[in-house]
Amino acid sequence: MKVPLVWLQEFIDLPTADPTELSEVLAMIGHDVEGFEVLDPDWTNVIVGRVAEIAPHPDADKIRVCGVDTGSGAEQIICGAWNFDEGAYVAVARPGAVLPGGLEIGRRTIRGVESKGMICSERELGLGDDHAGILVLDGSPELGTDLANLVELPDVVFDLSITTNRPDAMSIVGIARDLAAYYGIEYSIPERPLVTTPGATDVSVEIEDPEGCRRFTAREIRGVTVGQSPLWLRHRLAKTGVRAVSNVVDVTNYVMFELGHPLHAFDAKSISGNKLIVRRAQQGETLVTLDDEERGLTSDDLIIYDADGPTSMSGTMGGARSEVSFQTVDVLMEAASWDPPTIMYMSRRHDLRSEASTRFERGVDPHLSDQANQRASAMVADIAGGEVLEGYVDAIGKEIEPAEIDLALSEVTRLLGPGFSSARVADILTRLGMEVSGEGRLHVRVPTYRPDVSRPADLIEEVARLHGFDKFDSTLPLGVVGGLTVEQRRERLLYRTLAGAGLSQAVTLPFVGEADLEALERTDEIGSLLKVKNPLRDEEGRLRSTMLPNLLNALRYNISHGNKSVALFETGSVFMADPDETDPRLPCQPKRLAWAIVGSFGHLVMGDASLDADADLSLGIFRHLADALGLQDMTLRKATAPGMHPGRTAVVEMGDEVIGHVGELSPLSARHFELPDHIAVAEVDLDPLLAPTGLEEAEAPSMFPFVEFDLSFLLSDEVPVGELLKTTRSAARGLIESVSVFDEFRGEGVADGMRAVAIHYRLRANDRTLTNEEVAPVRDVMIEAAASLGATLRGL
Amino acid sequence: MTAVSLLDDALAGAPEAIEGARTLEDLEEVESSLLGKASTVGEVRRSMGAIDPAKRPDVGARLNDVTAEIRRLLAQRRTRLEKSDVNRRLTGDAIDVTLERVQIQRGSIHLIQQTIDEIVDIFVGLGYQMATGPEAELAWYNFDALNTPPTHPSRLESDTMYLEFGDPADEVLLRTQTSPMQVRWMERNDPPVYIVVPGKTYRLDAIDVSHLPVFHQIEGLAVDENITFSDLKGTLAHFAREFFGPKTEVRFRPHFFPFTEPSAELDVSCFACDGGEASCRVCKGAGWLEMLGCGMVDPNVFEAVGYDPGLVTGFAFGMGVERPAMVRHGINDIRHFVDNDIRFLRQF
Repeated sequence: MKVPLVWLQEFIDLPTADPTELSEVLAMIGHDVEGFEVLDPDWTNVIVGRVAEIAPHPDADKIRVCGVDTGSGAEQIICGAWNFDEGAYVAVARPGAVLPGGLEIGRRTIRGVESKGMICSERELGLGDDHAGILVLDGSPELGTDLANLVELPDVVFDLSITTNRPDAMSIVGIARDLAAYYGIEYSIPERPLVTTPGATDVSVEIEDPEGCRRFTAREIRGVTVGQSPLWLRHRLAKTGVRAVSNVVDVTNYVMFELGHPLHAFDAKSISGNKLIVRRAQQGETLVTLDDEERGLTSDDLIIYDADGPTSMSGTMGGARSEVSFQTVDVLMEAASWDPPTIMYMSRRHDLRSEASTRFERGVDPHLSDQANQRASAMVADIAGGEVLEGYVDAIGKEIEPAEIDLALSEVTRLLGPGFSSARVADILTRLGMEVSGEGRLHVRVPTYRPDVSRPADLIEEVARLHGFDKFDSTLPLGVVGGLTVEQRRERLLYRTLAGAGLSQAVTLPFVGEADLEALERTDEIGSLLKVKNPLRDEEGRLRSTMLPNLLNALRYNISHGNKSVALFETGSVFMADPDETDPRLPCQPKRLAWAIVGSFGHLVMGDASLDADADLSLGIFRHLADALGLQDMTLRKATAPGMHPGRTAVVEMGDEVIGHVGELSPLSARHFELPDHIAVAEVDLDPLLAPTGLEEAEAPSMFPFVEFDLSFLLSDEVPVGELLKTTRSAARGLIESVSVFDEFRGEGVADGMRAVAIHYRLRANDRTLTNEEVAPVRDVMIEAAASLGATLRGL
Repeated sequence: MTAVSLLDDALAGAPEAIEGARTLEDLEEVESSLLGKASTVGEVRRSMGAIDPAKRPDVGARLNDVTAEIRRLLAQRRTRLEKSDVNRRLTGDAIDVTLERVQIQRGSIHLIQQTIDEIVDIFVGLGYQMATGPEAELAWYNFDALNTPPTHPSRLESDTMYLEFGDPADEVLLRTQTSPMQVRWMERNDPPVYIVVPGKTYRLDAIDVSHLPVFHQIEGLAVDENITFSDLKGTLAHFAREFFGPKTEVRFRPHFFPFTEPSAELDVSCFACDGGEASCRVCKGAGWLEMLGCGMVDPNVFEAVGYDPGLVTGFAFGMGVERPAMVRHGINDIRHFVDNDIRFLRQF
């Protein structure tokens, strides 16, 4: 909300006019200042003059020679505008004046006649767009007055951000009231008596929906002349960012900014049947609003009807049919207070958010309605002429009573700390316009313009706010015992391990597209995706059921930006439209870990081949991670999975439970993401990885010598090497210290469907030196065990 | 000449001969010329039998001393020659240290994650626990229990993503804040409560340089007997100094949130310009940076979770993660966080 300082000073004698200091004070009482603009006149040496006489130019018929009285003598000025007569008050730029844009005014001679200065238009002064003629000033301002005075320049305009709980502060008077409470000074609204004429308006008002309309006041002003507002009024509105429309409409805006109560002016003659009825619309009715839009109404819309049907939308926008026009003679001034949620929904449903609807949806005090109506009616009569009829309408829908709150001092000190006395609390609340009685236990009556204050906690907030947040001490609560859980620490270990291994953590938006799921052969998941009811874009309409598509899209993004080698991992929730096991009111949303890798990976040695993304890499990373996390009872088994390479995928099992898949993406799927054939991927449930593992029993390294030997087996492709290693290891009865496969060979000398696997075994005992005599039979047992898998020693 | 004076002469000449050896081969020759059979020392040793038995102990002692001293000098010289010999060979193995033949690639932890961890750790240091909660959340936890009535504008479909799921009476949405976890935690745990809750949050925002529909927040909640507004100030001032530096000043401005009262916004003094430099890229001359929202827990929230607001008080705070990360690192486009360009990710 824009607040011009000069307007504010009409109601309060502020101890400072320094904009920085005032901004600080406003912020500290809860009205954040987004900025302020210092306004200076864009001209020098422009004063008020009166055109005393007008004579034709002897040598030109489109311009006239004016004798202008500037208070300190008459000047002869030539003027080409014709929109004024003798006696008009005008803005005179005297010789030496500088106008906006740097135009310097001097004496000049036009066709033989001297002109000492210039009579200015609004546009020439930067005050508006009007260039049809010169600016004719209203009333009879003092001659020689600096024109800047008439438009209240210099001035400062504060841009305030008013919190939604403070409709009372959405006005100049409201800000003056809050500042007065802060400074402990008075604020006052000047007396402006309403002069009325006997008689009453013919229009009556009926509130059929008392929940929607708290109060409806209407006054009629007869015989107005709708036209342009005076300069000062237009300029005040301009400072608040509102365009001038006509004097009657401008007054409604002016009073809204001044008092915080929006108003609406009807053309009284266009109210059919002389009766206004407030009720909810019927579905299918329409109303042409004054922006000439035809709006379809719903049964939630609160509408003002006359005998011909809907004529105005409450609190949001008037109807075109009853709009005040330049032909309007009789005005019906409406000041009504509406139900906040009704206006909030209506303004959004019809996309009609305005200064008025913003105030109504936060709550406009019905006890302010008549004051606002009187003020507006008096102003209309004042500037547009006409007479305000004495008899007016004041219909009450729903009475809003002042809140009465009991506040124990102990409540205040419990929350705000010691150091608050009854007197101090009462003083603060009284300054805010509350009626306070009692001591120790205060009884507080809250003015109805503060709908945010209804409980002791609300009063305590006000005490803290006005006391000043900066005046409170800073303390720390006494220590308690905190810390991360085992799972939380293991999650950090997990992503540090992966980052250390060379993967970068990604964050993607957790949505998914159907085409991506189809490409990953997960079409059957599409039906059970969790959907957003009201997405802004289709891309955000379905929550991801798998982490992979977004990571693959991130790889694609990288490749398209020239990054050929990229290793990304992400942890996060996936979603399914199935009920959660522990809380069926919520959808299932397990956490997953996933990665996707393209190009070369890991350490690079100049001239050496790099490690490239493929299933082996994925499996290696997974084993590295499992080792770092100390996962026990974890097995990798060859398997197939949707979207994965049919021969290069492992299922991860912990105990009997499948927790995910590790391997390589199917090249068919990769193609959809515009990726090369070999993409290392994995997707695994996160929680089993983070579950605490038991403490590991330490094993002292053996100090005895080791024995090493190699065995080369012929093994069927059908038997995983892992089986062979497991079998030979267990046959060695705990003597094996380490095993490594150092070659896998297919081809010459090896039958089809078979391969030669060379394994290096190192054996060591904890308590003795192994002898050849002891090892030889063990080796034989290992070979025998291998035979049970169909593996035979190569070369035998 | 006596045998002793012969030995003394041999010793006197030894240093020059030894230092004169330029290579290990030279030194071997010098050694044999000083201690070999044909050397003075060798000759004296061989002739010991012929020496007057009365003088023999003195000559013998001198022979041993001279021999030992010459060996010491030889060893000293050998060490030096060996060292320079090795160094000469090593110089031949020189590499270009700027060539970067081996690159040990590291991955990276996302800046958002790093920022979350850093903030969480500050509060863990104050005795807080960390909790996380569901992103698809009941409207009851996200709004009602947090004193946000059904008519509150934040509940409109223009601001909040609602999900097609379940019973319309138990409306499910994508949480708009991490605050629902306050309620979940208090429902399950008795006071005292000291928790921080990091996580993803969702709003119906179009994507642009400063908006994403999904972003991160960290929520904090402290509930105990005798928690006051001063505790809120002290805790968050401590946090601000830990996060932005020890000279950081804080400012609390009154604000409004449905679930705290009084409510405040915390501004921290600009860490980049120490306040109010008009050209400052971080604060644009304001001198202050808006950091977070906070306040004393509204009694309605306590009642919603079954705490007695007459027995406990508390404070809560909530902050975005993206913005402080952007401010600290000079990131001007929030979309960098979700583009996942490896060149961006690996800077941190």
